[in-house]
Amino acid sequence: MNSATGRAGIIRARDDAGSMDKLAHSVLDDVLFNIVSDLLMKTHREEKTARATTAAIRVEKLASDASESSTPDSGPDVRIETDAAIYEDGKVLLKGNPLKTTTDILCPRCHLPRLLYPTDGKGARKPDPTIVYCKKHPFIEKPGCDIYGQSWVGPGPGRGKKKKDMDKKDGTDGTPEQRPPNVLSFPSATCSKCKRCILVTRLNNHMGSCIGNSGRNASRAAAQRINGGGSQNEPTPPPSQKATPTPTSRAQSPRKRDASDDDDDSETSHKKKKLKSSQTKKVILKTKPPLKKDKIKSSSLSQEQKADYDVPSPKVLNKIKSKAESPVKKLKVTKPTIASPMSKNGRDIDGESESSGTLSSPPASRH
Amino acid sequence: MATRPTTPASPKNAKIKSPSPGCPVFGCEHVQILLCQSQEVMNSSIAHYKMILRGIFDTTPILSQTSTNQEGRPVTSLTSNYLCLQCPVTLSEEDRLKHGTEKLHRFYVDSRTGALYCQICDDLVWDPTLEELRVRKIGTGTFSTNRKRKHDELFAESSKEDPRIISANTTVASCRASGLRGIYNAGATCYQNVVLQSFLHNPLLRNFYLSDGHQSSECSISHCLSCAMDDMFQDFYALESTNGYTAANILSGFWISEKKAFENLVTTKEQDAHEFFQFLAEELHERNGDGKRPQSGSEHTCNCIIHQTFYGKMQTTTTCQNCHNSTHAVQSFLDLSLGVDTLAQRRAKKTGQKLPALTLGDCLDEEYVKSDKCEYRCHKCASIQQARRHTSIKRLPNVLSIQLKRFEFKQGKHDRAASKIDNPVSFPLQLNMLPYTNRARNRDSRENLELERSCTYDLLSVVVHVGEIETGHYVSYCRVGDQWFKFNDHKVELARVSDVLGAQAYLLFYIIRSLA
Repeated sequence: MNSATGRAGIIRARDDAGSMDKLAHSVLDDVLFNIVSDLLMKTHREEKTARATTAAIRVEKLASDASESSTPDSGPDVRIETDAAIYEDGKVLLKGNPLKTTTDILCPRCHLPRLLYPTDGKGARKPDPTIVYCKKHPFIEKPGCDIYGQSWVGPGPGRGKKKKDMDKKDGTDGTPEQRPPNVLSFPSATCSKCKRCILVTRLNNHMGSCIGNSGRNASRAAAQRINGGGSQNEPTPPPSQKATPTPTSRAQSPRKRDASDDDDDSETSHKKKKLKSSQTKKVILKTKPPLKKDKIKSSSLSQEQKADYDVPSPKVLNKIKSKAESPVKKLKVTKPTIASPMSKNGRDIDGESESSGTLSSPPASRH
Repeated sequence: MATRPTTPASPKNAKIKSPSPGCPVFGCEHVQILLCQSQEVMNSSIAHYKMILRGIFDTTPILSQTSTNQEGRPVTSLTSNYLCLQCPVTLSEEDRLKHGTEKLHRFYVDSRTGALYCQICDDLVWDPTLEELRVRKIGTGTFSTNRKRKHDELFAESSKEDPRIISANTTVASCRASGLRGIYNAGATCYQNVVLQSFLHNPLLRNFYLSDGHQSSECSISHCLSCAMDDMFQDFYALESTNGYTAANILSGFWISEKKAFENLVTTKEQDAHEFFQFLAEELHERNGDGKRPQSGSEHTCNCIIHQTFYGKMQTTTTCQNCHNSTHAVQSFLDLSLGVDTLAQRRAKKTGQKLPALTLGDCLDEEYVKSDKCEYRCHKCASIQQARRHTSIKRLPNVLSIQLKRFEFKQGKHDRAASKIDNPVSFPLQLNMLPYTNRARNRDSRENLELERSCTYDLLSVVVHVGEIETGHYVSYCRVGDQWFKFNDHKVELARVSDVLGAQAYLLFYIIRSLA
């Protein structure tokens, strides 16, 4: 009980300190030691398990390559040995410490090597361009970007004016220098009632006037359309809807949204909309009904599809198809790069129109 | 492992975990040698490991933290000791090597975590068989597999089911599809986005929708919100897209919905995220459950996913101060609404601070530990009497949602105006709800540990309101595995735990650690 510090040796009492003082320091130091060792143990567990799995996947691959007779149901009847593991009788046995014998990590699902460092931002390293990596990348930590390294076209003050947004983008956005390849613009979505294509940031407003059929809003919306909609030939709500500044009580009028915008995020700022909302023509990208739409999925966002998804996915793997229709839907959902003619009773609207936003900007930092 | 937890002393032989593809059978060569010697050695090793784990996790830590030093004196340490797997001795790290050389015992169990250390590897070893026991012990307090499901499994990336059945009946999503996407703000809809994100990262709801709990292809209801949710879960967890999501179907379902109680919500104005949460929960209940509208104040039970996930029951006991006759009233709740205002004002008066900090515990104490006085009509006395009223939680939900009432209508000089209470309310990553249940009173220390474990919650997501009441913005934090993410409409960023805990929470979602 006389030492001035604990296991970690970082929090240290002065040599002339009293014994109570020393005790306090050594307790605190021990607690610090425990915190660090818990963190270390967690990382150690993750890392060592991943390496052991990698060693197992490798030796299993070699074993299944070595014997042609193997079916997916039964393991190949061979004995294979690598530096890290032995394959025998359908079992994998480790050789040595996987932390020493295995240096990389294979994805347990797609069996491709995992990218171990982010491609951009904090802690970024250049990936080897000759290797096809697993698509699960480390998340990117970079100011102004999201976890995938994406950023969005700053909408500027006049959200209704897309052209102006484009001009202003350099000045207002967080990434002013040049437009990186993976800057996305806002997509459009189809209104489920009038089937018109509306820029997503205006969707709520549009639905308010287009669908707004619940209770009092119906008459209000109708009244607005009669009053303000005459001069307009666009499906967007007339400007009069947003011009009434009555911020007293909630939920009494659909017009007060201006007051509630957020200040943090310029994309969602609607403040200036009342000034320019009449200019919305360019948001109508398509007027096709949504029923017969091909999926031009976000193929530009993703690199080549890798075919060997033989390991069950934990996320979707509970999707046991009990009904005949189920696989159709899931097919659509898992093979997004194929232009599939599947249409799902008009519910593809979302995915479909989202892709319109991504197509314009292929991300180059993905490889 | 024993399949029948009721007979722990059964002479059943211990078995190693059956080999699965991509997983070595043993943690290292030396564990392999130990467990392959004979059935008796394997039985005794596994039985001893279980015993050590029980000692570590079920009893006071002082036992495993105390070792005997060279002079035979007991020494208690704050840092880890090592318990020999092959004989009943507890050693400090320094004595470990000596014991190993003397007795040729090579395996030790870390006294704080239960992790296995192999002296020949000079490293911690994560053996599939033993590690499964340890994780289950930590998660549920029991070694049995069939009674409780481990909380970890919900987040884990592996499956117990036959891989052949699964691969034949499912399609596999890309490794890129992680469920981490933003949702575009469709014009003052961030109050919806935060709630949708917390639903998307709720493992119970996720598993329900991804296992075809509600198939949009089979549903004939037009503009069904549950179908919209199904589609959204598909898009989040099966598509490679990293772009934001356009929740158009949710939005139109929301506009078309005829819920009179939430008429207020259906405007193009920014709204209350909590009201949207209630709206969405009720709507999804009606689409998936018995179709009955949950009566507020009643004891409504239903087997739908929303009830299984969010609903609990609370019990209000009113005791007449005259005859001491008490009456109980039970009602189900979707969330706990905790008052902040009165507590903050009281604290401000007491401490003189302008914005005194509160804790979630303070707020919970106020509602579910303290009792208040009221007047009520006692049946026994047949008159109006003073009574004491105490509310406690009778049944805890799997996902506990808590609203901190930050928005209050205050009587101003001229009119009632809504105002926001900005006091910081700190909340824990891990929440023990036992003190707020009606079982908290009858305490038995032995039973308590088990009970406490079944009342332990982990923070799952936090909805935060930033800024002023009328002009503010909602963001949310959600946990995926151990990593926190910040969702700000379409933007998803990594978040540190300190960011999460430092946020001005409005809604908190806690998930039960071990599912009963």
